Formats: sequence, C-alpha cells, structure tokens
Amino acid sequence: MPTWLFSWAAAAVLVVSFVALAFMWPRPRLEEARFRPLPDWIGRPLTSRAVEIACGAIGLGLLLIVLWAGLFGSSTAVTNIVPTFVYVAFWLGFVLLSVVFGDVFRAFNPWRAGGCAVGFLFRGGAVEPLEYPRRLGRWPAALAIVGFVWLEVGSSSGDKPEVIATAVGVYSTITWVGMALYGVEAWTRYGEGFSVYFNLFSRLSVFERRGRQIGIRPFLSGLAQLERAPGTVAVVIVMIGTVTFDGLSAGPGWQDVLQPVVEWLRDRGMGPQGALELSYAVSLLAVILLIAGFYWLGVAGAASVDRRHSARELAGRFVHSLVPIALAYAAAHYVSLLVFQGQALAYLASDPAGFGWNLFGTATWSINYGVVGAEAFWYIQLGLVLAGHLAALVLAHDRALVVYDDARLATRSQYWMLAIMVGFTALALWLLSEASKG
Amino acid sequence: MTVFAHAGHWAAQLAYLAPLVLLVAMIIVGRIRDRREHRHEITINGEDH
Repeated sequence: MPTWLFSWAAAAVLVVSFVALAFMWPRPRLEEARFRPLPDWIGRPLTSRAVEIACGAIGLGLLLIVLWAGLFGSSTAVTNIVPTFVYVAFWLGFVLLSVVFGDVFRAFNPWRAGGCAVGFLFRGGAVEPLEYPRRLGRWPAALAIVGFVWLEVGSSSGDKPEVIATAVGVYSTITWVGMALYGVEAWTRYGEGFSVYFNLFSRLSVFERRGRQIGIRPFLSGLAQLERAPGTVAVVIVMIGTVTFDGLSAGPGWQDVLQPVVEWLRDRGMGPQGALELSYAVSLLAVILLIAGFYWLGVAGAASVDRRHSARELAGRFVHSLVPIALAYAAAHYVSLLVFQGQALAYLASDPAGFGWNLFGTATWSINYGVVGAEAFWYIQLGLVLAGHLAALVLAHDRALVVYDDARLATRSQYWMLAIMVGFTALALWLLSEASKG
Repeated sequence: MTVFAHAGHWAAQLAYLAPLVLLVAMIIVGRIRDRREHRHEITINGEDH
C-alpha cells in the first residue's frame, strides 16, 4: 500500500473526530485545574527534602560523569557513553519519563541542583536576584533547544565525546550565570532550555506535584494550564521544526538540496567543513521559520473568523495544542533510536569512557536489532502521529470554547486549526516515509 | 532536466498534501459563500427599508 494513503486515512480520522467534537464536546472541560491528591504515604516521601537532595545529587553526578568521560575518555562515539547518554538517554529518555510520570526532570536537573546547593551554602551572604525580564519569557529556552539540535544534527563533530562534553560545560556555565542573575527558580522555569522542554511534555502526564502533594489531573488538562509567556510559541515551533529538520536531513533528497548551497559557500572561500555546518545551520533556521509560517497562516485564518481576536493573541492561546504534535513528531521519529541505541547504554555503562572496564559485567552485551520489526515500527509511528494530532484537536477545540462565546464561531475558527493538524499529520508521515528510504 | 525526470516521484510526494489542499479549498469556498449570503441579506434588508 502506498504510504501517502495513510496520510489520507489519518486526515479522514481527524475530520471525523473534529465533527464528533463539535457535537459531543459542547463545554470546556480542560481549563479547570482539577487535582485529586494521592494518599500522603505516596506523596510525602516522594516530595521529601531527602528524595529531592538524592535526585539532585544523581543528576549532578551524571553531569560530572559526562564531563569526565567526554574530556578524558575514548574519542570514538561508539565506545564512549557520552553521545548515547546525551542524545538518547537524556534527550529522548526524559521525554518518555515526563509524559508518563510528570515533571521528573525537575528533580534530577543537575543545574537546578547545583544552583540550589550554592544558594544553600551562601544563604547568609546571598544577594537578591534580579527580577526576571518578562519580555525575555521562554526565548532563552528556544535558543538553547536550537543550539542543542544543531550540535546533534548540524555540526560535523557533534558526535565526538569531547565536543559534546565541551558544549555541556559551556551550557552549564551559561545556565548557572542565568541562575545567579535571576534566581534558580525563575531561570529554571523560563530560561533553562531542557527544563522548559521536558516540562511542556510533562503536562501530558496525568501526574502532577502541588507543594508536598502528588495527585492525578484529567488527561491534557496540564497543557490547558500552561502559563502564557513570550517565547512560548517559539519554543513549541522549535520543538516541531527541529524534528522536521532532522527528518528532512535524513531523507534521500536532502544532499541534492544542500549541495548547491555548500558549493556556493565554498566558491566564496569557505572551507568544506565550515560551508557544510553553515548550510545546515541556515537550513535548520529556514525549516523552523517554515513551520512558524504554517502555524501563523492557520491562526491568521482563525482570526479572520472573529476580528475581536488578533492572530498574535490566538497564536499564544492555542500554542499548547501543538505540544502533543511535538511529542508525536519526536516519538515517531526517534522511537527506533530509543529502542535500538538505548540498548547500548547497558554495555556502555560498564565501560563509560572506553577504557576496557567491565563495571557491571555487561561490557560484552550487544544491541538486538530484532526486538521490533520494520513493519511494526511503521504502525507504532503511525499510531503515535495520529494520537498526537487527535489530542491536539481536543485541546484546540476546548480552548476555542473559552475564547469564543459563540459555539458556532468556535467551530468555524477551528476549521483552520483542523487544517493545521491535517497539514502537520501529512508532513509527519511524509518525513517518516522519506527517512525510511534515506 | 532533473526536476522533470523525477516528475513521477514528485507527483507521489504531492499526494500527501492532497487532504490539506482539499480542506483549505473547502474552508475558502465556505467563506466566500458566507460572504456572498451576508451581502445578499444586506441587499434584501436594504430593499425592505
């Protein structure tokens, strides 16, 4: 069966769901911050100071291992734990953990732990942090994610352990300077890229922490509670745009597109590596801008339905509905990497720096590529893409019922959001089919 | 010309976009029809007065 037929089928499912929502979901259900606490014997220990310190210490310890293994260990990507740990266990693993268990990265965040430890040590002579500039919002986080993905996909030396460790060192320094200036909590909430990234995904989880309580909230309601701040649209667009870029650059036609740009740069005296890296950086930004333009067209269409709401306002108010799409993109695109390369952690943990150690007796293990077949992967990816877009449709519909006082206007505005969802679904499935040929 | 030589390949790729194009076309046609009906109602009301 041609893969584009799946795109048509997915679009049909979205249209049918849209109609069903219009009739069966007449009132907003996700906007209210409902929360059912779990018994204290679960919540209290998990939120205790001892557990917080232990998790922070684990995070800091892992950060130190990455720096040590990267700077002093083997310089080969396959024998050093750093590339697999950073790009698979950390970048993908925490997405999975966040979606299932909530914002667990907050507990293990090494930068937050380090910032809190320093704050505790110098609590007597600490200077009050500056007020975090509201205009800055989540923009630093968006920049951090772009930088990380460029290192992973765009840099020709992004798989070298020493380069990754150096980047981790530079990022740690910037983060701790940000925390020193604006306070640990403010920088963690808005400026620290990975905290913002994993926190957005954690809002898909039914688990939530409130003070010393852990409780259950209605599915998707965590995203409806997302605080509006400048740069939030940029973060979510970057989340989708970077995965799109990764998918595009893995496709068979990518080199044909890039080659003229690289040659043009080389004709102007640039070295081959510099020309390649610059062309990757420019094309990464171009893809992000294209995704932003597509979203903007959709919200501009929705704004044309009722002139009381500008496209700018709607872009901010509906952006939470794109988070399940960002998850669908990341999950569908990287599920095979997580399943296969994730297994490498078992043997790399025994010899993290490539010194020939066998700490846990697992150094001779290998990756089992037969654990999931190619066809099964395709259906898993298709399911993830469809589920993500359906969740997005539900969130957008629920928000429209709040934004528009007239149910008819709300539905009409959502025609455009439906178009966005259908467009993103088609793009996701096309990318997956292209990546499978690449 | 490479572009034309790969026309079959590109056509198959464009099939992914078909649902989006169809949906956007339906939205635009709906909007045009709505505006036309709205203008028609204004004309009739204007004649009534």
